[in-house]
Amino acid sequence: MANFAQRNEFPDPPSSPEDESSVISTRGLEAFGRKVTTTASHLMAPLGDPTAHPHYQSALSEVHKQLRRPALQRSVFSMARTTPTDLVRSTLSSREIQSRALSYVPDEMLKNIPEDDNQYSLFQGFQATFPEFTEDGRKHRRRVSRGRKLLEETEHGAVPEGPQAVNKLRKEKASMMHQLEMLGVRKNMASSEIREIDNKLANLAGMRKIILERLAGLEQEEALLEHEIVEVEGRLEEAQELADDAEAAALQTPTRSDDEADERGEGFMSQSIYEKLPSANSTPSRPRKPRNIRKKSMPILHEHFKPGTMIRSMRAHQDNITALDFDAPFGMMVSAAMDDSVRVWDLNAGRCIGMLEGHTASVRTLQVEDNILATGSMDATIRLWDLSKAHYDPQGSQFGRDDEDDGIAFENPDDQPVDPPAGSMSDCPLFTLNAHLDEITALHFKDNILVSGSADKTLRQWDLEKGRCVQTLDVMWAAAQASAMSAGDSTWRQTNRAADGSADFVGALQVFESALACGTADGMVRLWDLRSGQVHRSLVGHTGPVTCLQFDDVHLVTGSLDRSIRIWDLRTGSIYDAYAYDNAITSMMFDTRRIVCAAGEDVVKVYDKVEGRHWDCGAGIAEAEEGKTPAIVERVRIRDGYMVEGRRDGIVGVWTC
Amino acid sequence: MTQLPYAIDAETPLSQAELDVLRAQYEKEDVMVGVQTKFNYAWGLVKSNVRTDQHLGVMLLSEIFRTSPERRRECLYYLALGNYKLGNYAQARKYNDLLLENEPGNLQASNLQALIDDKVAKEGLMGVAIVSGVAVAAGVIGGVLLRNLGRKR
Repeated sequence: MANFAQRNEFPDPPSSPEDESSVISTRGLEAFGRKVTTTASHLMAPLGDPTAHPHYQSALSEVHKQLRRPALQRSVFSMARTTPTDLVRSTLSSREIQSRALSYVPDEMLKNIPEDDNQYSLFQGFQATFPEFTEDGRKHRRRVSRGRKLLEETEHGAVPEGPQAVNKLRKEKASMMHQLEMLGVRKNMASSEIREIDNKLANLAGMRKIILERLAGLEQEEALLEHEIVEVEGRLEEAQELADDAEAAALQTPTRSDDEADERGEGFMSQSIYEKLPSANSTPSRPRKPRNIRKKSMPILHEHFKPGTMIRSMRAHQDNITALDFDAPFGMMVSAAMDDSVRVWDLNAGRCIGMLEGHTASVRTLQVEDNILATGSMDATIRLWDLSKAHYDPQGSQFGRDDEDDGIAFENPDDQPVDPPAGSMSDCPLFTLNAHLDEITALHFKDNILVSGSADKTLRQWDLEKGRCVQTLDVMWAAAQASAMSAGDSTWRQTNRAADGSADFVGALQVFESALACGTADGMVRLWDLRSGQVHRSLVGHTGPVTCLQFDDVHLVTGSLDRSIRIWDLRTGSIYDAYAYDNAITSMMFDTRRIVCAAGEDVVKVYDKVEGRHWDCGAGIAEAEEGKTPAIVERVRIRDGYMVEGRRDGIVGVWTC
Repeated sequence: MTQLPYAIDAETPLSQAELDVLRAQYEKEDVMVGVQTKFNYAWGLVKSNVRTDQHLGVMLLSEIFRTSPERRRECLYYLALGNYKLGNYAQARKYNDLLLENEPGNLQASNLQALIDDKVAKEGLMGVAIVSGVAVAAGVIGGVLLRNLGRKR
């Protein structure tokens, strides 16, 4: 091969560009060419175009191949294929080589040329978008304008005659046809662009799904790890206690009893006030330290679901749900039903943690806040519970022996809930508040203040630290006061709807420090000052009993059996916004973005405050297509876009909102 | 395919203002640039008389070729045309032949093939002429030199 190449180094008779310089050695020229290409490659490298790079490499290797080919062969070949200037450029100018490399198309792509089914070519697209840029378009435009003028002339009465006019009209027609064609192309362009975007959207949706799954996995892991941490913390505490005991025993000093007393005292101080009370009566040798089940991490998965997606559905009770509440998304939920039972649920696993026993009648209202649960019952008592003392193994829901049970528990909402182990909640009761004379219909607590409203037409304020009633507010008296003050325009007005007796006297209340808002069966919303025990403002507007109420720092939202939701401005006491549904509102709650209502339908009514949009969320939407009619939603709660609703048939649904 | 431009279309450059419109749109769409916009700009560049513009145009066309398979077939023609304008006849021929393989009856492609053949033959002849001219000149000079040398001896 070397010999052959040598022989071919003689000047080639055909007119390859090397011939011009054949007086010098061709080999020198080839070496020069190689140098140029390597220089080019160095010049190229820092460009760092990732797409062009591999192509550039293959292009370079092709150039090299070409250079390595014997001169004679190459020149003959090139004679047939291209011109000398092309060849010179392709081998000598680094600029040219660079641009060639950038526009190089690999052979496998050249082989893979699909049949095209495009409605229009890119060139037609170009023509249609920029008709004035093409010769053709320019001509047509001019013609069109002339044609138009012509048409106008004819309209104005100057009837054109002769072959000239016919020609003109023909031209006019042709140009119009052309325009029509172009319009068609542009239409196709637009639709294909839409299709392109649809494809991109589909891709993005796919990616979103993948990442959502990843997020779900991470959250699952997070939850597991959290449970483990709690476990380890518990063990650590136990070990610490043992170690302390051993130390104390080893010391055996005369001041032993004092030390112990100090220790006990310290322990009490550091514990929350709620844990203090039962520990005082409980036996000195507590079997197990209460575990803190409070979440360390904030689940965010539900925020990324499409609004209105069902997270879970479970049969919580066999009867009408009368009250429910939960502490945090994927946290703990407590539900109460007409069947007199109160159940605690782990929303993460969809599992019943236990039953709370103590009330002798069904629970009408309840609230969960930081592991503390308050329940108000028809038996006129309020009970407080510490949910952190439940004997519950959260990991059992994911691993181990409970696996199968668990699957059933939340795959089929119609199945019987898996019964929690008996006595799992035996350490939970804190204390009972009895002073009311009739059923408790509403309660709310914040920090150490609990306020309850009862059918005995009074509100009571309780001090949770001392566990006793500190104030009683008589609603009828307040109403009478108000009527005496202002000539009876804001007296107690028995509304038509309340006349049927089904509405609770105190429908809803909420307390914040010394501020108390309560909604009653007369449709009034009264704002109380707990320091003076006086009503300082009455909001008149509802024409039916108020059933639900919630306020934040600016607005107060109330729902009533008169079917309306009213949003009040707390500073001025005037109506800020109001809207109504088809049926009486039985339950309402809002978070930063949405106001959700149970309005006697099988769906939850959602009002998006940000977008100002009303929409429905719930089982009624999907199941209507299947021909089923889910039960009517009775109670609804929402926190951070995580919504829980309880229906008349005892099913609880969890949704993103 | 009858919706392709003839080579003559590529020989009429756009005005700078028109090209600027195309470029502006191309740059506006940035990363999300659509195929049509890319082509519009590429085509405007190919039509240009400035060699660097043409290079860029061909580069964009090859990008379209790489990224949108459904446009490959017509892109072959645009690439061929672009390379033809650049004078890269070998490349132009490669693409054009490939297109003709797929669509033997394509008028524009056959037209382009004839044009390439023409150009190659013409420039080839020029090359021959130059080389032979150089050879003759070298011969004459050499002869003169030899004669001079001979005389000196």
